[in-house]
Amino acid sequence: MRKRILVPVITVLLVAGIALAGCSGESGSNGGGAEATGTLQFHANGEDFVREGFVSKDGWSIAFDHVYINLEGITAYQTDPPYDPHSTGTIDSDIEVGLDGSHTIDLAAGDADADPILVGTADNVETGHYNAISWEMTKAASGSAAGYSLVMIGTAEKDGQAIDFTVSIEEEYGYSCGEYVGDERKGIVEDGGTADVEMTFHFDHIFGDAAVALDDELNTGAPGFDPFAAIAEEGVIDDDMSSLQTKLAADDYQILADTLFTLGHVGEGHCHCE
Amino acid sequence: MGKKWISIIASLCLASVFAILCLPAEAYAHGAEIEYAFNTSIEIVAKYDSGEPMSGAQVTVYAPSDPATPWLTGVCDDEGRFAFTPDASDAGTWDVQVRLAGHGDIVHIPIGEDTVAAGGSSGYSVLQIVLMSICVIWGLIGTALYVSRRRA
Repeated sequence: MRKRILVPVITVLLVAGIALAGCSGESGSNGGGAEATGTLQFHANGEDFVREGFVSKDGWSIAFDHVYINLEGITAYQTDPPYDPHSTGTIDSDIEVGLDGSHTIDLAAGDADADPILVGTADNVETGHYNAISWEMTKAASGSAAGYSLVMIGTAEKDGQAIDFTVSIEEEYGYSCGEYVGDERKGIVEDGGTADVEMTFHFDHIFGDAAVALDDELNTGAPGFDPFAAIAEEGVIDDDMSSLQTKLAADDYQILADTLFTLGHVGEGHCHCE
Repeated sequence: MGKKWISIIASLCLASVFAILCLPAEAYAHGAEIEYAFNTSIEIVAKYDSGEPMSGAQVTVYAPSDPATPWLTGVCDDEGRFAFTPDASDAGTWDVQVRLAGHGDIVHIPIGEDTVAAGGSSGYSVLQIVLMSICVIWGLIGTALYVSRRRA
């Protein structure tokens, strides 16, 4: 009698085992336990162009004293599939980390070897790869950039001529960017670790870069400094977009307006701008 | 052991194996796709916005299992092309970054993600394979006993 029962029992157990094994793969759960968290830093980087200065496409040696920029709505995202800034301005994500408030920073702060500017830090964020970021350049309510989203203050020199410039931008922009493209991979937060994401600003898009071929797209699409030099009064430029629109040639103003949409990057990675 | 039980055992075992093979789970339905993807090299073509190829651009490939560490580095050829064969066991999104003289971009290539949960090239877990093997053996034993009993 026992043998008769044993055989069907083994058979049933085998079948049940296979069924359960098949079902077990569906959960994919990591089980219980404390949630893994880390720290995410938000940096802003004007690159060596701002920290060290550079020569514009038309031969002006440009040095910045201050580059004030006002940032708001800074948010990093984990996106899967990864966000593609070439296709849309909407970042679809279930995991996002933001910095509250408005932040006016000086991208030119520090010496030529200074690190990118730390805008803020978010603690106890979910681990994973923050592979997208968005932010807005808005008019600062107060402080060094009050009334403007960007203020560039510096000196340009060429052939013994020196021009002190203050160029202020009152327009506002919203940048949506994918993953950072550069020497290292950023935004990967591990349990107990610290990672960073970066908002990068390419000022060579405005003035061009003598180190790059003149027919390079970077230079052909940049106003350069000559249009600004042409409107200097007694070696001084102090204008915002409103006054530049009246002083610059229409084509030069339009090129400047267009390049400001391309100012925001993530390393060398491009952004969608509205 | 009764003839009836041996017959039932053999039938159940065969039915179980058959049922597993015929399960409509997505993992199995996509098995052929995985193999195809894994056996195919990926070729990228990197160009500037102007359409000019990024000849000589630095290429960095990241595997899904270790996204922080380059899995492979290389250089685009004169036509901006670069080819590599991803690790067949590492399903997920492979990321390929291309950079040259201040220009750069990254492309995300999903490879066999639908089969990650199933794991392995066959699409079955180790536990499933072991149980299936035991079941088949059990069925063979039962069949052998049935045949030997009939002869006796």
